[in-house]
Amino acid sequence: MATSVLDPRNLVDIQARPKRSATQILSWVLFLASIALYAHFSSVRHRENSEDRIVPSAKQLVQGIQSSVFHPAEEDDDLDPGATRWQQIRHSMIWKDTVASGSRFFIAMALLVPAILLGLHMGIFPYFGAFFLRYVLFFDKIVALSLLPILFIVFGIDEWSKIMLMVIGVAPTLILDTCQITRAVPREQIVKAFTLKCSNLDVAYRVVFPQILPNVINSVRLSLKPLALFLFAGEMIASTDGLAYRIAIMRRHMGMDIIIPYLLWVALLLFGLDTLLRFLNRRLHPWL
Amino acid sequence: MALAAALMQEELPIARKRRCEIGLKGVSKTYRSEKGETRTVLSAVNLEIEAGEFVVVLGETGCGKSTLLRLILGEEPPSFGSIQVSGKPVKQIDARCGYVPQKYSLFPNRTALQNVMFGPRTAKYPLMPWLHPGFHAYRKELKTEATQQLLRMGLRAADANKYPHKMSGGMQQRVAIAQALIMKPSVMLMDEAFSALDPSTRISLQELVLDIWREQRPTMVFVTHNVAEALFLGTRLIVLGAYSEMMGGKTNVIADMHLQRSDLPYLERRHTKEFIELQSYVEELSYGISCQP
Amino acid sequence: MTPWRLPQKSAAACWLRLAVICSILFCSLTQNSFAASAPKFVIGWSVYAGWNPFFYMAKSGILRRWADKYGIQIEVQRFDYAASLDAFVAKNIDACTMTNMEALDMPAASGVDSTAIILGDYSDGNDAVLTRSGLKLNQLSGKHVMLVQKTVSEYLLERALVLNGLQDEASRLKLVNTSDSDIAGAFLGNHSNQVVVTWKPLVSQILDQDKGVANIFDSSKIPGEIMDLLMVRTEVLHRQDGSGVKFAKAVTGAWYEAMAQMSGTGPGHERALNESAAASGDTPASYSEQLKTTHLFYTPKAATDFNDSAAFKQKMDLVRQFCFHHNLLGEGTQSVDDVAILYPDGSIQGKKDRVRFRFDSSYMHLAGQGKL
Repeated sequence: MATSVLDPRNLVDIQARPKRSATQILSWVLFLASIALYAHFSSVRHRENSEDRIVPSAKQLVQGIQSSVFHPAEEDDDLDPGATRWQQIRHSMIWKDTVASGSRFFIAMALLVPAILLGLHMGIFPYFGAFFLRYVLFFDKIVALSLLPILFIVFGIDEWSKIMLMVIGVAPTLILDTCQITRAVPREQIVKAFTLKCSNLDVAYRVVFPQILPNVINSVRLSLKPLALFLFAGEMIASTDGLAYRIAIMRRHMGMDIIIPYLLWVALLLFGLDTLLRFLNRRLHPWL
Repeated sequence: MALAAALMQEELPIARKRRCEIGLKGVSKTYRSEKGETRTVLSAVNLEIEAGEFVVVLGETGCGKSTLLRLILGEEPPSFGSIQVSGKPVKQIDARCGYVPQKYSLFPNRTALQNVMFGPRTAKYPLMPWLHPGFHAYRKELKTEATQQLLRMGLRAADANKYPHKMSGGMQQRVAIAQALIMKPSVMLMDEAFSALDPSTRISLQELVLDIWREQRPTMVFVTHNVAEALFLGTRLIVLGAYSEMMGGKTNVIADMHLQRSDLPYLERRHTKEFIELQSYVEELSYGISCQP
Repeated sequence: MTPWRLPQKSAAACWLRLAVICSILFCSLTQNSFAASAPKFVIGWSVYAGWNPFFYMAKSGILRRWADKYGIQIEVQRFDYAASLDAFVAKNIDACTMTNMEALDMPAASGVDSTAIILGDYSDGNDAVLTRSGLKLNQLSGKHVMLVQKTVSEYLLERALVLNGLQDEASRLKLVNTSDSDIAGAFLGNHSNQVVVTWKPLVSQILDQDKGVANIFDSSKIPGEIMDLLMVRTEVLHRQDGSGVKFAKAVTGAWYEAMAQMSGTGPGHERALNESAAASGDTPASYSEQLKTTHLFYTPKAATDFNDSAAFKQKMDLVRQFCFHHNLLGEGTQSVDDVAILYPDGSIQGKKDRVRFRFDSSYMHLAGQGKL
């Protein structure tokens, strides 16, 4: 029987029992490989062209990070040179962009709450389901980006068109998912609740809603990526600030030394938000 | 067969005519599939269940036991006929009946104690109870009552704060019974409530249910497919048979008989000669199994 | 042991087998790429009045004839503008159409040494500042301006302010970076948007659909500052086997043959116009209207005269100063002279050892002398 990590037969053995240390090491291999591959390409390209911007070197990246974290965002923002680190960060482009994008993101997320409640109602009240379900199913299939010109006309090119793009892009799926989750609650629970003198609203908000909340939060976690995608699309198409705005501007002159740190920062933010929601889910629902 | 005939004609000790708690008149239930095929599950069922009776509904799978229960609950309307509970027609699910299903009988997001408290609490303070001034005092009072109820069901005080997923199946059903009983329903409906439990847990729960019934005398409707359980618990046995077109609109209630109550515990009673005879008779009646050649 | 399990062998044997299989696969894949015979070059172009003739050149067979003459293969590939620049900087394509500004801030500033071999045209009104309700340049302060930031649109806006003595206003404008795919719809759809800077055919679309919009400044007031070039990577031109030079000659020859037809002096004038219009899905009429504001150099002589003039360097200087002040030469670039430009007369704008952008009019001269 093959037991060693070095035996290729183990790769196709479903019954393999890798050691904990082996799984730990294996889980980091791809990270290291990506970094190595990047470093390789970067050094190759820099050997050919020492000013290459497409695959910036570590030094360029550090400079890029420094200028995005400590340099003022606007060319005319004359922060006095003696400013503290904190003040520098507060005036930096990454700070301003994060605040701008973050506020859009959270407003959109707040607007998803009514969507979740609608999904709950559709799942539990037959008339709501009859009225909305078919339409939402249809609307869900519309590619929200194609509505952008209409959104510009209705909401202007400022904040609201971007926020609505995110909401319209994500809400239908979330509504349908919540509806589905709601309908998966065992019928016994609802019957039982009614035999315990619950009113309709009691059943919806005290019996069903707390039960579906963990799954709904998971569904929101899965929606983070589409939300970010729509935010980026909106910001790249028309805006005056934001993380994607900066990336779009930097693309004009191949500023990959800024773009790559920005991408990693966005990934980190999303990862953090996801972890926060997961943690929240565990703390809020000890009964899982 | 003589035995059965004797059983059915026997005058019961509680034969005084009592108030009719559940009444079904000419009830039928037909389901229509999406393809348009119809399937009759219940046909021309007439039943009068008196207050304080312990009715056990027995029958093979698909004979309409659970449907009967759902109709009494009000979860579905009958296709024909009328149903009354406590003298009023049944339209929707309400608190006239207590309900203990086989699965999902507890709210998973509440502890045992919270589950038991849920009914009275919601009934008294619908939506946002914490806004009411008297709520906290009430809750304290209720907590004592619910704890007592749980203890009465044979749970320990330490179990009160457990969530359902940490409890065994037997414990869950004990809590579910407490949860229903605290509402003091006039009718208790139990749908295969003990079917998923292991034999010893099952027996202790059967004893518990009997004890409670003797103390509080709710009207019980207990659906099961286990003949021994049915004979041990019930004062009245209803056997349903699967409906077929051959019956031509006649009822699919195969038998409706009163049973003699015995105070012997189950373990002793099951070995008595009458019990074994009765059991094999009912098995043959309801499932077509014959033990004796 | 079940029959379908791999036979028991040593781990080393298994790895060996894997390695052999991989190497066979790798060899068979890479072999195909060595098969090509004649050197092949790819030109990327994007839709624009001055560049549409590339489509005609390729479709009519003019380009193929010139390529055959020099014994090479030339492929023409259509891109979105931004994507074409990315591809050029990433060295995926050998030549690319772009404006002088992008040539400076994309390839040159990224250290990709490139050479302009054809000076096709300059914008003579194609780019414009449009306003609603009679707004004038001196009334723009504090207004939202929709444009694609850090492109010729922003350059045009800044030049408009400078030429009217309003340079201090620049910092008071609120620039809204708006993608060119949505700028017309967004501007027309919402009347609270009062200023937009964009290019043709979007300019014509906006002016046609909303009579309340006026053109208050366009590139005809800064002639020759926004040029459209065909850039080739310098290293391609310097290929050892001389194929790069052949490529440059073939493209230049084909270009001026197409230009002759476009100008109406040669045969096939009608067809050249129609096909070029079709390249961007325009009608011949609207294409002709766009050409009116595009100063095409129909003859090699016109192009070389402009390229070799003294005013040319001044215009380039304005552009490179703009790029530097807007950080377009890279965050790390300390001085405007770090990205130096070499002119046909051998003079250099910037540091001698940092030449990244070359104007080479020699191919156009050869075309003018009929020596291609």
